[in-house]
Amino acid sequence: MKMTEELKKAAENMKPGVITAEGFLGEDERTLADIIESDEEKVRVLNINFYEDLKKIKYLLEKGKEAFDEPVTVDNKWLIKVDEARGHLPCPFEDGIFRKVNLRIRNLKNNEEILLSELSIHLIEKHHFFQGKGSKFRVDPEKLKKVLEE
Amino acid sequence: MNPVLVASLIIGGLSGVLSALIVLVDSLVNNYGEVNIDINNGKKQLKVNGGAPLLITLSEQGIFIPSACGGRGSCGACKVKVLSDIGPILPTEAPLLDTEEIKQNIRLSCQVKVKSDISIEIPEELFIAKKFEGVVESIKNLTYDIKEVKIKLIEPPEVEFKAGQYMQLVIPPYEKINEYTQRAYSISSSPSQKSYVEFLIRLVPGGIATTYVHNYLKENDKIELVGPFGEFYMRDTDADMICVAGGSGLAPIKSIVTDMYERNITHRNVWLFFGARSLKDLYYVDFFKDMEKKWDRFHFIPALSEPQPEDNWEGEVGLITDVLDKYFKAKMDQNTSKEGYLCGSPGMINACIKVMTTNGIPEDKIYYDKFA
Repeated sequence: MKMTEELKKAAENMKPGVITAEGFLGEDERTLADIIESDEEKVRVLNINFYEDLKKIKYLLEKGKEAFDEPVTVDNKWLIKVDEARGHLPCPFEDGIFRKVNLRIRNLKNNEEILLSELSIHLIEKHHFFQGKGSKFRVDPEKLKKVLEE
Repeated sequence: MNPVLVASLIIGGLSGVLSALIVLVDSLVNNYGEVNIDINNGKKQLKVNGGAPLLITLSEQGIFIPSACGGRGSCGACKVKVLSDIGPILPTEAPLLDTEEIKQNIRLSCQVKVKSDISIEIPEELFIAKKFEGVVESIKNLTYDIKEVKIKLIEPPEVEFKAGQYMQLVIPPYEKINEYTQRAYSISSSPSQKSYVEFLIRLVPGGIATTYVHNYLKENDKIELVGPFGEFYMRDTDADMICVAGGSGLAPIKSIVTDMYERNITHRNVWLFFGARSLKDLYYVDFFKDMEKKWDRFHFIPALSEPQPEDNWEGEVGLITDVLDKYFKAKMDQNTSKEGYLCGSPGMINACIKVMTTNGIPEDKIYYDKFA
């Protein structure tokens, strides 16, 4: 995958301290294009239904919001914690601004846990960017599959 | 002469010329000279060097506009009314301005640059906001994710504020963060304690400021603050006060309640509902129970949405909105006028507003700060 001007600009915005404290790339030394392509391939190999998973994530996000920033058990399957902070975060691809809303999902059966934000949900959905390895909000497709399994 | 040396000299010379050219162009293009800022129809006139964002320009002149994001254009707190024509709304401003604000010439002061003479309007109370230097006196864990931070003020040594207002902490560079930023936090201490301020800070995963406070800030560290700001405070009426807090949203409510007690404003009924999931998420319970003993019109109602077996909880159970509704219908005097005071997540506030309006409190009598 080629590093277009859009991707180069986005990569600059993903550096630590530009939008978030630790940035979006973690310790990943690959180019943004390679990160995206690699995770797209992983989604295919794992046979993940991309849009069904996003739909489920959004459902869990709404359930978490109903608990007003306190942890809540959803469908007896997941422990959800939503945090809403003051302010907004711009997308590093410069195509939207999102409230600072974090979503922690823990599968109560296998104890796998993942941390997302409204912004990271957008990044996955629109840009297929799951964040770099070592990033706090990295959403590893394999782990995502485990967290969402019922 | 050695060709390598010649090439190096040529490249060096060209680099120098290009650098000088960049400096020259920058000084010409961005040099707007001295410009005038008229504030509140002549109340204050400033002569400043043009070119910088309005927010920064004003702060350099000792006028501090609130900015919960440190001027990055993500919080929308730094709105001012601009009476001069400074061009169209910028793409970075548009998402944070509604139609009415655009009509009224409201702009984000962190995004607009001062390129010519300009007239603006700001709330009068912003003239009293100051920059403070302080020292961290204590840091205490209230829960697994909320810290109480007490800061002794050094210069100026005292602060005047209304209970419920907030200040901005100036966060220095740390780890991979290479620039200063600011974040807003409600003051939880009483205005009577002028020589220090106290904050409740909940860790937000990935948050620049909360990560710094929770993982890097230490007792005896120096820290800067700006403020006070905000319009969330007790209104001077005799109405019953129905207060709801979640998470670190307890901060301004604690300040307000303490201030009222200290000033002997104890004739009003005050109900404080505090929602959490389980016992480990509650804090300051003893403080408010002690307040109940001293103040017979103060009622503290903690509620857990999912108490754990080990909590041995005997108090209210359920979402705080459901508990609030129950108390409206079954325990509060139906015939008194009431006001709402809310601090917590936007979702909690929106839900509480619905409950309150359904139970007879006019929306214009519900005051809130959508985050501590």
